[in-house]
Amino acid sequence: MKEDLMDIICCPLDKHDLDLEVEERDDEEILSGQLVCTECGEVFPIEDGIPNLLPPDMRDEAPA
Amino acid sequence: MRGDGGSGETEGSGRPALADQRGVESVYQPAEDSALLARAVSERVDDGDRTLDVGTGSGFVAATMAEAGADAVGVDVNPLACQQARKRGVTAVRGNLVDPFRDEVFDLVAFNPPYLPTPAEKEWDDWMEHALSGGEDGRRLVDPFLESVGRVLAPDGEALLLVSSLTDPDAVREYARQHGLVGEQIASEKHPYERLVVLRFVRN
Repeated sequence: MKEDLMDIICCPLDKHDLDLEVEERDDEEILSGQLVCTECGEVFPIEDGIPNLLPPDMRDEAPA
Repeated sequence: MRGDGGSGETEGSGRPALADQRGVESVYQPAEDSALLARAVSERVDDGDRTLDVGTGSGFVAATMAEAGADAVGVDVNPLACQQARKRGVTAVRGNLVDPFRDEVFDLVAFNPPYLPTPAEKEWDDWMEHALSGGEDGRRLVDPFLESVGRVLAPDGEALLLVSSLTDPDAVREYARQHGLVGEQIASEKHPYERLVVLRFVRN
């Protein structure tokens, strides 16, 4: 994800701001890291350049 | 048109599984409905608009937005869809409908939802079923979308929703009205078993 995506995303649970913690990035974007809600503290992973902003109870709901 | 062709059959049900009818695997691929929505979207997007494609699937509609000059984002619950959209160059977010987005940030939001009415016992076998099935009344995700999309629309923003005659467009507009959205039909296309329509909603 590009860093300017931060302008439009928020915590899906309470709509508060997210803090970005970068683990790996290239010239253009963040490849891995996490997004942490400044209000509720919920942690949302960024993997392979894609932020996973599903609520935790939907994260593992992968149909077979 | 969806659910045509195919020969597979779901065990015990005596009718083809939706995924088999579709003949593809885990991510919904662009069909007539996507094309109709994409055309409506490309006519309405202006350079520099910030847009969102909900349930982006392969990223087809989001890519159309980007080609029309928009700063486009695709959101999907399906991780495989997010990966496909990203490979296509689309900014992908894994999320549920418009839940992970801030208030009033989008000039245009498009949604080609799962809309085929499906009996409850047939629901949710795999990602493709999820991409096609709209629950008992075909509005499993249409209703929550209409409840929440107004929040993320900019003051002059609009939402474009693709529905089928199978999903009762009038009922969809009435439900939207109850949630502060005014709707009009801006495109329509006849197919053998259904009519596809694009509804445009703005905040009341």
